[in-house]
Amino acid sequence: MRGYFSVFRMRLRMELQYRGAMIGGILCQMFFGIVLVALYRALYAGKPQALPIEAVTTYVWLQQAFFRMLVSTDPDLLDKIRSGNISYDLCRPVNIYWFYYSRIAAQKLMGSLMRGIPMLVFAFLLPKGWGLSLPASAPGLLLGLLALIFGFLCMCALENISMGFTMRTLDPRGIQGMLGLLMMTFSGNLLPLTLFPDSWQKVITVLPYAQLMDAPIRLYSGIYAPQEAPRILAVQIVWTFVLITAGICLWNANKKRLIVQGG
Amino acid sequence: MSYIEVNGLRKSFVVRKKREKGKLFREKDTVEALKGVSFSVEKGELVGYIGPNGAGKSTTVKILSGILTPDGGEALVGGRVPWRERREYVKHIGVVFGQRSQLWWDVPIIDSFSLLKDIYRIPSAEYEKRLGELKEALGLNDIMRTPLRLLSLGQRMRAELCGSLLHRPELLFLDEPTIGLDAVSKIALRDFLKWENSEHGTTIMLTTHDMEDIAALCSRVMVLGHGQKLFDGRLPDLLEKFDTVRTVNVKYGAAVPSVSFPEGVSASWTDNELSLTYSPAKLPTAQLLLLLQEAGPISEMTLQPENIDHLIAAMYKEMDL
Amino acid sequence: MDTFKLYIRSIGMLLKGHLQYPASFVMQTVAQLVMEGGEMLAVILLVDRFERVNEWTGGDLFFFFGMMSVSFYITEFFGRGVTGDFPSMVRTGKLDTLLLRPRTIFVQVLCSGTDPRRITCIAVGVAALAVGSRMSGVVWTFAKVLALVESVCMSCMLILGLFLIEAVFCIHSVKSVELVNALTYGGRSACQYPIDIYPRPLRILFSVAAPFALTMHVPAAWILGKPLYGWPAWTTFVTPLSGAVVFALMVLIFNRGMKFYRSTGS
Repeated sequence: MRGYFSVFRMRLRMELQYRGAMIGGILCQMFFGIVLVALYRALYAGKPQALPIEAVTTYVWLQQAFFRMLVSTDPDLLDKIRSGNISYDLCRPVNIYWFYYSRIAAQKLMGSLMRGIPMLVFAFLLPKGWGLSLPASAPGLLLGLLALIFGFLCMCALENISMGFTMRTLDPRGIQGMLGLLMMTFSGNLLPLTLFPDSWQKVITVLPYAQLMDAPIRLYSGIYAPQEAPRILAVQIVWTFVLITAGICLWNANKKRLIVQGG
Repeated sequence: MSYIEVNGLRKSFVVRKKREKGKLFREKDTVEALKGVSFSVEKGELVGYIGPNGAGKSTTVKILSGILTPDGGEALVGGRVPWRERREYVKHIGVVFGQRSQLWWDVPIIDSFSLLKDIYRIPSAEYEKRLGELKEALGLNDIMRTPLRLLSLGQRMRAELCGSLLHRPELLFLDEPTIGLDAVSKIALRDFLKWENSEHGTTIMLTTHDMEDIAALCSRVMVLGHGQKLFDGRLPDLLEKFDTVRTVNVKYGAAVPSVSFPEGVSASWTDNELSLTYSPAKLPTAQLLLLLQEAGPISEMTLQPENIDHLIAAMYKEMDL
Repeated sequence: MDTFKLYIRSIGMLLKGHLQYPASFVMQTVAQLVMEGGEMLAVILLVDRFERVNEWTGGDLFFFFGMMSVSFYITEFFGRGVTGDFPSMVRTGKLDTLLLRPRTIFVQVLCSGTDPRRITCIAVGVAALAVGSRMSGVVWTFAKVLALVESVCMSCMLILGLFLIEAVFCIHSVKSVELVNALTYGGRSACQYPIDIYPRPLRILFSVAAPFALTMHVPAAWILGKPLYGWPAWTTFVTPLSGAVVFALMVLIFNRGMKFYRSTGS
């Protein structure tokens, strides 16, 4: 357990080093947020919807703030896979799945917290109808946070699976790139899932991609009532369990293959 | 006036120090890479440029090849200032970095060469002639259609050399060209450089850590340390200064009684074979030979200077590098 | 002319190199299709839900989207050296080897990168343009075709110019390179919709600092028969030239930056 924790801590420290890039990234992300909000406001001005504009802007800002949880490729890890240096890791006396899981988790968590908190403060200070609204209710906030945690665990498992695939194909830009792009569309980052056609939403919200951001945001802004929370959380837990199991199987198979092939 | 004239060349770099705890901004530090280096090189010379890591070798090469502008001092190469009118200047030089490729990775090397022809605007007839000649001299005939990435390190280096000589530069810089090469490739490379130098009178300046390169190629060697020139002359002269110890191996035809040597000589016996080290300054070689001959019938004998790398290490130590 | 030939030959060779790995290439090209398809899907879904924005109909919006996709990805296709590879050229020292050749650095940088995978993105953009112009009932005349071609060319120059800002930042080893993305990728996201739906500060930003509105929206609006701000027809052919201005300016600054690079060392 200690080993995984120190992997986690080391990644945190590495993330902290790149502050210059981070500040640039935050400002850029804020800008993207403002552009999106301006677009949706213009669209709403022509044809208001059932869902108030405040809910949409809140959705946009929360998505932008936690963008790094969604996509954060780890170039070091990809390099390791491509160069074959990964065999060193496979020789370590740790469970390889959890070793990478903690690494991915640290990267995502740190990247998004350091960027997310200033973003949220900024979005909160924007005028009404432009920025981040308060949560619909106290239970909504708490349940939203809980859902964020499960969504996060689920997302790390998903990323670890794509790492496993990358190791198999040695081409990070193929399969993984495609998965990442699907993620952009079906996580609500490209367009809030709440603006998708209502019939589509029934399916999309059940996919793992929607678990990270969409479910917590809906709980936060009251689109899902707190009474619905058990159902939402159940979906998340099932996905987390399934994806972690699948990931462990994949990595075990990888390890076996590597031993058979002799690296 | 010499072909290369360098006078009081200075260059310093600003490096950012690691941020100390509790301080918001990193402090900056200035490192003087060159503190006034002067030398001159005649046309057609083959000069070795050595020194420990960080001595300023690469900085000198970069300034003389026009990549860097110095902070002070002058340099003239063939009557041109390298860092002014870069585009005109670089037509006349070639540079090979041992660890950096200038050819295209995924395509056959012949394609790279033909693109270089366009970049340097080499006339077709001239290009064909030169390529044929280099192909022959470097043994590239069989690999012209192979992509660079599939070549061995030795083949790659030969291809790089070909690429940087296509436009017939008057001056060739080599930055650690033999790094990582096997013995056969090294020797082939050295032979080629000698050929290019004598055939075309190309002036060659070579930085290296491999003393064999220097010994095999360079009539002249310059030693750089801490941004200053410490030695400039023939390699044997440089070695003589530090060549204090020699090793002799002697094999006798029959068993011999033990010989007593004067102080400062260390000897060890294995059966009929004697191995000893002595310093010619204290015990003249002639005197030693006499001693050895008196001891018994010599069947074989070898005399060798100390390993060249050790010498250089001793020299760096002496010069406090 | 000689430089142009060199560029064509260099890009041809790089393409040959890309095709050495056909499986990976096809895979990545399809991935690009998924990505740009996703962007297009977002516009379709918005049009489905909101029908129009201000006076712009769905067809108009597809047209604007197509203009941006085509321009942006043509730039990435042919200008990859500037839009993508430059930072790594500085890092790995490849820039040094370029300095050893008797050609301008800008030309060599441009010659050292291409991104053929973008072909599918360009295809999506062309499809959007076709669908958009059909839905909006555009009657194509010679002048309109000319306006479209000029607009795309000038937008490409503008985008190249904006990416050069990033290159200049790299030369000066400024860390916050990501900030420039607000202009480049941010400009792409924002200006795939017509400029007049945005509040004033954004309109100023994308008309003055990164004038996508001038290179792209003024001609596109005219082609669609709804001149932006009611400006006269001749503006359609004049305002896009701002793209060339930005480009020329940035090339100048870039060359300045290279002087700095050579005096500070790597």
